[in-house]
Amino acid sequence: MPRPDPVLALEGLGKSFGATHALRDVSLTLHSGEAHGLVGHNGAGKSTLIKIVAGVHQPDIGTISVQGVRVDINAPVDAYNAGIRVIHQDAPLVGDFDTVDNCYLGRPYPRRWGMVDKSAMRAAVAAIAKEIAPDLPIDRAVALLNTSQRQFVRLVRALLDNGRILVLDEPTAALSAEESQRFFDVLEKVRARGTAIVLVTHRLDEIAAVCSRATVLVDGAVSGRFEGSDLTAGALVSAMGGSESPEAKTPDRTPTSTVLELGQIKAGGLAAPTSLSLQSGEIVALYGLVGSGRSDLLNAIWGSEKLASGTMTIEGTPYRPRSPIDAVRRGVSYVPSDRHRTGLFENKSLLFNATLPLLRRFRMADWLPVPNRQRERKAFVDAARSVGLVYHSADQLARTLSGGNQQKLIFSRWAHRRSKVMLLDEPTEGVDIVAKAALRKIIRDMAKDGNGVLVSTSDRDEALALGDRILVFRLGTIVADIPRSQVTPTALSTAAQSMEIVAA
Amino acid sequence: MTLTTLYRYGTLIAFFLLCLGFALASPGVFASQANVVNLLQQVATLAIVATAATMVMTIGEFDLSVGFVASLSAVICFVLFAGGYDMTLAIPLALLGGMVSGTLNGVMVSRFGVPSFVATLAVGTIVSGLAFGLSGGASLFQNVPDAFKALGRGAILGVPVLALWFIAVMAGTALVLARTEFGRRVQAIGGNVVAARLAGLPVMRDVIVTFAIAGGLSALAGLLLAARLGSVQHTMGEPLLLPAYAAVFIGTTMSPTGAPSVGGTLLGVLITGVLVNGMTIMGVEPFVQRMMTGVIILVAVLLRHFGRRDP
Repeated sequence: MPRPDPVLALEGLGKSFGATHALRDVSLTLHSGEAHGLVGHNGAGKSTLIKIVAGVHQPDIGTISVQGVRVDINAPVDAYNAGIRVIHQDAPLVGDFDTVDNCYLGRPYPRRWGMVDKSAMRAAVAAIAKEIAPDLPIDRAVALLNTSQRQFVRLVRALLDNGRILVLDEPTAALSAEESQRFFDVLEKVRARGTAIVLVTHRLDEIAAVCSRATVLVDGAVSGRFEGSDLTAGALVSAMGGSESPEAKTPDRTPTSTVLELGQIKAGGLAAPTSLSLQSGEIVALYGLVGSGRSDLLNAIWGSEKLASGTMTIEGTPYRPRSPIDAVRRGVSYVPSDRHRTGLFENKSLLFNATLPLLRRFRMADWLPVPNRQRERKAFVDAARSVGLVYHSADQLARTLSGGNQQKLIFSRWAHRRSKVMLLDEPTEGVDIVAKAALRKIIRDMAKDGNGVLVSTSDRDEALALGDRILVFRLGTIVADIPRSQVTPTALSTAAQSMEIVAA
Repeated sequence: MTLTTLYRYGTLIAFFLLCLGFALASPGVFASQANVVNLLQQVATLAIVATAATMVMTIGEFDLSVGFVASLSAVICFVLFAGGYDMTLAIPLALLGGMVSGTLNGVMVSRFGVPSFVATLAVGTIVSGLAFGLSGGASLFQNVPDAFKALGRGAILGVPVLALWFIAVMAGTALVLARTEFGRRVQAIGGNVVAARLAGLPVMRDVIVTFAIAGGLSALAGLLLAARLGSVQHTMGEPLLLPAYAAVFIGTTMSPTGAPSVGGTLLGVLITGVLVNGMTIMGVEPFVQRMMTGVIILVAVLLRHFGRRDP
């Protein structure tokens, strides 16, 4: 049976920015009711491709056809008229508006007696929402919705009027495993309605689970196409130029002294008193969903969350931080999650970012709170080398680095001192697979240097790859403590079962 | 000259063109030594208040109380003079008044989370009421020691004393912001307050200290203005507020990221000062002068806006 014309056909697209070939001869076809995965490292050309389809960039060469008809997409409005709906990563919404108003933003309003007809708008939005996200409160201000609900708002908005082609850029980057699963369940309904979907994500297992075909980009060119049973996360990794063999595990470790001891502590969202003992050189992974209490534990140790009860000791001496200032003083270091919001000073130099928390160490004299710039610069260069930071000048702005390098920059803050306890919150979130491996190596090296490391993560692979022990969090309590001896390939399934308990 | 250079240094170029234009249009008047001295004296108090505003803008907040605080300190000082006290008591108490007002601003903003726009407007209003009450609404000029007046008048080695004051204040502030640990922390707070807190910086304390310094600088400006004029009215500092922020905003056009800086603020102060001074010499009506000042602010900020759109 001949297949009908593809909904979207890209043929021989090329695009250069100055001397950089962002895209070279990229072709892709998409049929209705099909989900197509697009993968590649940061800088492989995914964003450029999306921006061309969205009308933000124009290709230097190549054609775009929609349902067999060639179209020129010179501006976002052309893409819109062709039925293409792009949901950019973290696409902004108007917080004070409800879902209905957000959906109609920038689109023709239905009118009645010359006035905007809100009830007609509401009915149209409700019809879509009922189908894909029935429990979405469409009359509530978007600012009051959570991250995953907002993602549904964007989806409803995209599907409101004749969108036939849906392009999603990292739609689950900010969602927990459970929320992602729900999102993909909904996306499956959307696909079943006949909408064609292009999915861009770093999470390769999502592509394998959701998409029927996938295209891999390397350096702006197609390096592999997969469909059916060939489409596996492993196949995608090798097409991206990565290694298919499982990542090196944290090696065995001889027990050493205890650096951090938590006795029955309660703080923030921790539902039950929690105890924990962390040894020097040990990596303990705290695994659980967003809001399961693992971040509250880190915050309590860091002093940014008030301790309600319980005791903490560092190397046997009582420790009760009133603020992160005390934590720094006692040898605790912290890498926050969500580097853009809570980690980086994007408009400041690399040097500024790297030395800020421990600036006292570079004083010209003890009584003179003025940093010695030569010593500061040298410390930065050393720290940058130890974390493998790729940069061209200590004075370049932090925002000019790639995501993985930004994260290394935050790591480098603590690299020029000997910490006792390292607290890492989602340390490799949102960076590509190569940078992930590099960051994990840094984390292992930190442990090898004698730090006790706590890694809080919602990524199962990360917990398994890094943890000497994995503590599984759920609803504010530790529900499982899987020791090193059981973190083996066979115990992986045991761990996986506890994850299912978590996800239930 | 590339377009980028024009955007980057446009404000500086505009300043020199402005000076050149006035110098050519009024031979021997604008560019005379007497006028330059006069100009420096005119902008001195504004420059100090604008430096206070710059510090507070660096932590990403606003201080609308600067002008009111300047009035209050002048009133405190002159009320004490009238009561027979001398400078050794009057000046420290006046400066203390400014720092206490600033501390109050800082506590409201960082301890209680009141938006700085609201907190400093409220504190400023209280302060202006206090100045009104202390002065009794009258003009104060009794018992002012000549030594006090000398702080704002005359010259040392040909440089007006007032100019020395504002140069010292601005150079000191620039040095503190660029070179000290406190300065780095202040920049970090303005860059990303959440990240600053999570990096273990004493954010609350630094915010309070910043507001307190701004209050102290505003008080100093009030005292110098009083010294120059020799008399004090309880509303005399208020007209400084808007030009101070105009200068800061013109100054932000000098930074690639739009951040406030002491150097930029100095340029902003000089541009507005030269504009008013030059136009006065040219006999331009005061209402036109005001409108022109507004236009200059808009042009500077627009230039910045177009400059930033370049990748």
